[in-house]
Amino acid sequence: MSLVSEVLMGGIRGGTSIEYAALGESISERGGVVNLGTEGSMLAGALAAYAVAAETGHPWLGVFGGAIAGGLLALVHAYFVLSRGANQLATGLVVLFLGLGLTSLFGVGYVQALAPTFRPVKVPLLGDIPFLGSIAFHQDPMVYLSYVLVPVLWWIIFRSRWGVLLRAAGERSEVLTTHGHRVIPIQYIAVVVGGMFSGVGGAHLSIAYANSWFENMTQGRGFVAVAVVMFAARQPFKVAAGAYLFGAALALSPALQARGYGINQFALDAVPYVVTILVLIVLGRRRAAEIPEGLSKVFEQSLSV
Amino acid sequence: MTAVIVEQVPPGPVLEARSTTARDLAGRLTGPARVLAAIVGALVLFGVVIAIKGANPFSAYKDMFTSTFTSWDSIGGIMVRATPIMLAALAVTVPARAGLINVGGEGQMLIGGIAGMGVSLGLGDSLPGPVTLVLMVLAAASAGAAWAAIAALLRQFVGISEAVTTLLLNYVALDLMFFLIYDRWKDPHGSGQPATRALLADQRLPLLGWGRVHAGLLIAIGAAIVVALVFRFTSWGFRLRVVGGNAEAARRSGLKVGALLISAMAVGGALAGLGGLTQLAGAEFKLRSGFIATYGYVGFLASWLGRHRPGYVVLSALVLSAIAISGDSLQLDSKLPAASINVLMALILLMVFGFGTRKAVSS
Repeated sequence: MSLVSEVLMGGIRGGTSIEYAALGESISERGGVVNLGTEGSMLAGALAAYAVAAETGHPWLGVFGGAIAGGLLALVHAYFVLSRGANQLATGLVVLFLGLGLTSLFGVGYVQALAPTFRPVKVPLLGDIPFLGSIAFHQDPMVYLSYVLVPVLWWIIFRSRWGVLLRAAGERSEVLTTHGHRVIPIQYIAVVVGGMFSGVGGAHLSIAYANSWFENMTQGRGFVAVAVVMFAARQPFKVAAGAYLFGAALALSPALQARGYGINQFALDAVPYVVTILVLIVLGRRRAAEIPEGLSKVFEQSLSV
Repeated sequence: MTAVIVEQVPPGPVLEARSTTARDLAGRLTGPARVLAAIVGALVLFGVVIAIKGANPFSAYKDMFTSTFTSWDSIGGIMVRATPIMLAALAVTVPARAGLINVGGEGQMLIGGIAGMGVSLGLGDSLPGPVTLVLMVLAAASAGAAWAAIAALLRQFVGISEAVTTLLLNYVALDLMFFLIYDRWKDPHGSGQPATRALLADQRLPLLGWGRVHAGLLIAIGAAIVVALVFRFTSWGFRLRVVGGNAEAARRSGLKVGALLISAMAVGGALAGLGGLTQLAGAEFKLRSGFIATYGYVGFLASWLGRHRPGYVVLSALVLSAIAISGDSLQLDSKLPAASINVLMALILLMVFGFGTRKAVSS
């Protein structure tokens, strides 16, 4: 396998967990709530998924468990932000700490446990397309699910009635109020559904990508997801592309080492984060203008100055 | 456009009729009493969590308390732990004054530690120890400031949220340290875990004669006092507050908002870098994996817990350090993973954020 196709294939494989989390965070941010607790929801999802899969032997039940755990942690964020008026960024970080603590408390027993994994499956016909087939259609089922999910989410956000309500909640909540809708319940749904997606992202990480559980295994992927959402301007297709970019940067390190390049591992480990920052720089100014009004209050008080 | 239908029922006699519910009681508490009640609530919740995990919450709390507070030495341990956390918290407080969110304390501390170690490795024993130490302090503060300034510059000139870039830079800083301790600066004579060689004895911060409490504590408290005085008495401190309150108004009244934001962030980074150095030269003496371990994030939480007011921030740093230390007892006495203390820390912060003030729900 050539270096390029190996990195691209690994990019999809490694990027999928971030993709799920970033899609979730897009929903949350469309509703006007930033959730730095995405990292915590991913961790909770990773552990819950791995534990459920190990106990039941069914990886899809694990994914379901991961979604529930991620959603529950996001519910904590939603409650304190939406019902108690706490600061979004600080609360998000606290929720991360909560996830970190809870997963190390309840995860000890699963560090050595074995759980069923998702094996790569070749898609008939599509898998035979030269180059593209070997990159995109020799993947695990959760990757294929994400292929379907991206256009579906795009349709929901931009074409469905629910999407209109969601975007209005984030951009012009007073419009919703004048039309007799209640904003807070919509935002609750957005944050919790977002957390469930992050949990599924964690599930992909623990069940499919690593097929193991260890403390703090997300290593900042949730934060990267938040960054991806930012430069992808909360648009599902761009979010997917951004997540794959990060995945490709992740896949670069083992691919180069396998070919005997004497590049330091830790220099390569930093590449995904640096790439994310560089993409933010390239797309930065243009994207900044597209931030929903409700969010700009949270993120940048004086961005235009 | 201006007509907004308010659906909520105004609080009237209907609500007041319900007399002594818990909600009413909580509503009457004010100030410190409310915060205290929030903390008690968090302790109860955490007790439930560890009970689910099969530990006895009562004996766990007793062990946590006795191991943390009973001896003068163990209180010294809190001070040692709190030293870098205070500086990390102040690193959040100063930018917050100008409305900036610095979540990069962790990375800025690492960079400060790396810069300090670099000076020591570069100079060896060619200069007198105290001189080297002063140079290390300066290098750590400048390196931390420069690292933080990256995020401030990106915000100012490219328009990227500093909350996200500071977070990402933490991981870059961590990988940089790993690169150094596994490769470039690895101590060839070291055994086991990769680390740099230790600082020479005369390049370390002096002990204060109270357990392992070192001069870094004086640096941290001194920094807090300076920050408080700067906030209160200097025009820079006043301008930061104006920018933090309303940047647009500040710009229109002729303030150089960009320079103020960048300087606030750089000062924050310098404080964090200093925090990394106190940890290096006062407690760890070498760079190793686990150097700084979440102190930057705990500092962030301490600053928010203290509502970005220097005095309260220092107090919060002490409280969180005490909680962190009591986590060691969870591991030793109750056989729970040390990281489970993060649950208690998170619960306390959530309760204080959510219920510590009466205002809440601003929407």
